Amino acid sequence: MKIDDGDFVIIGENIHTTRMVLRTGKLVEIAPDGQEAVRYTSARGETRFLPIPEAFKRTQDYDEGRIKHVKIAIHDAMAGGSEGREYLLALVGRQSAAGADFLDLNVDEVSLRPAEQIDAMRWLVETIQSMTDIPVSIDSSNLETIVAGLDAARGRALLNSASLERIGALDIAASRGIPVVVTAAGEKGMPQNDIERVGYASRMVDAALERGIAKSDLYVDPLVFPISVDSQFGIHCFDAIRTLRAKYGPEIHITGGLSNVSFGLPSRRVINDVFINLAVSAGADSGIVDPVATDIRRVFSLDKQARPYQLAEDMLLGRDRNCKNFLRAYRKGELAAV
Amino acid sequence: MAELADISNEFIRQEIDEFIERADERARIVSLFSRSSPAMQAIAAALIDGDNELVDELTGSALAAGTEALEVMDYGLIAGMAIVGVKFRQNFIFVPEVLACARAMKAGMKHIDPILSASGIEPLGRVVMGTVKGDLHDIGKNLCIMMLRGAGFEVIDLGVDTSPDAFIDAVEQHKAHLIGMSALLTTTMPNMGKTIDAFIDADLRDDVKIMVGGAPVTQEFADDMGADGYGKDALACVALAKKLLGVESRT
Repeated sequence: MKIDDGDFVIIGENIHTTRMVLRTGKLVEIAPDGQEAVRYTSARGETRFLPIPEAFKRTQDYDEGRIKHVKIAIHDAMAGGSEGREYLLALVGRQSAAGADFLDLNVDEVSLRPAEQIDAMRWLVETIQSMTDIPVSIDSSNLETIVAGLDAARGRALLNSASLERIGALDIAASRGIPVVVTAAGEKGMPQNDIERVGYASRMVDAALERGIAKSDLYVDPLVFPISVDSQFGIHCFDAIRTLRAKYGPEIHITGGLSNVSFGLPSRRVINDVFINLAVSAGADSGIVDPVATDIRRVFSLDKQARPYQLAEDMLLGRDRNCKNFLRAYRKGELAAV
Repeated sequence: MAELADISNEFIRQEIDEFIERADERARIVSLFSRSSPAMQAIAAALIDGDNELVDELTGSALAAGTEALEVMDYGLIAGMAIVGVKFRQNFIFVPEVLACARAMKAGMKHIDPILSASGIEPLGRVVMGTVKGDLHDIGKNLCIMMLRGAGFEVIDLGVDTSPDAFIDAVEQHKAHLIGMSALLTTTMPNMGKTIDAFIDADLRDDVKIMVGGAPVTQEFADDMGADGYGKDALACVALAKKLLGVESRT
């Protein structure tokens, strides 16, 4: 989508079988037909209900209060159900309105059997493409599932993702002439600092360029880790972004799964929002985010002098050891609104 | 029955009063602290505060004054961690604060460990932990390890991308009672099952308990592949480890 000082490429992370709503939350209620269901607004603006199937109520997710709504919708729609299909259409519509440039599709939790995952990905790509012209992003930890999704895709789908442990994915992207996300994961482990991030990511970028993939088709993900675990994790990421931007110039895209940064903390929204601003200042021009939950236009127009913003910024820049000031402010109720 | 007023340390009294809501937990924790000395309560208070330097100092001086290592561990460090665990579960505190407490725990255990091992005192249990083959994620696994150590377990950390053979070798080498496997990807989750099968093939399955966890893992999946238990987070991991090994804290 267009923003004031250039483009920000939103890889819309919403149609994922991992997505959940809380059973105790606002969206889960008893529908008029007496069934427990997820309430939603359809693409045509009506209030509708996606019923929670009986089989799902026997799972631990349900017992612990988690409703995997996208998984439910995909199962229903694949079995020919019209409500599941309506639900997916609504998800597509909301992401489209929020300015998603790609719709990231992930069915890793639809089934543990690879063959069922592959079928589900193929089906989902065809279904989503029948609803919108927004390009899809094929996301899986299983390369066969990715290939199945790419085979079903028309136009230029995004391959999400390739890394040193899965460098063969670059050949797939090169031979199909499609864009690809490359991550900074190493062969033997996750990067420990900015230098390893730049090292691993550079090897991926160089390997992609050797295969003839254009810089403008590369989305580098330096990997975002939770600030709750180490106060330097934000800095590692921003420094890596700065170095990669300087090294590869303006054409390459720098992205990342941005909401990971706030894991283990309360008031996650303000942390995510500030992180996006800081990543963009460092040189990122894309994010793997749910644009419905995180309104990018709002994120870029936040008041940077507001106290919650400053507290999150200090924390993300490594100036708040053990997130002490941020958590103190949370307890005093000072983070309520930005 | 012990009462809150029996605990001399004011900070500990306040912590219990403010954060320990469940009656059974409250009774257990009040009883524990009512039996502990002021010096042990001070160690627990410093740990709850996440002050590793103070825990380091107080643990060292308690041992120098002749307090048994086991008493310092059980009535100072582990007792403090019991309050931390409840606060975390109830969302009164968050991951960075728990980690600070875990670091304080570690600062205390640095004094205790050599004494216990020299005198042949066994830990609560010995646990081998690792992320399975093909998977490089370790943040959640590391949180589990810190909480297990905080509860008094000895943990052997095999890191990420751990082959079934590496799990087997570690169990044999360290005479471990329990293994914990983590996976963050649906593609690597089946490697938990393969590791369990490898233990069966090596005729070692009956010698260890096996627990699993990680974002895509569920109780159903754990049952399906024959694990002994599943824990949804670091706290559940500690509770599960205690249950599987049939141990409770010595206090």
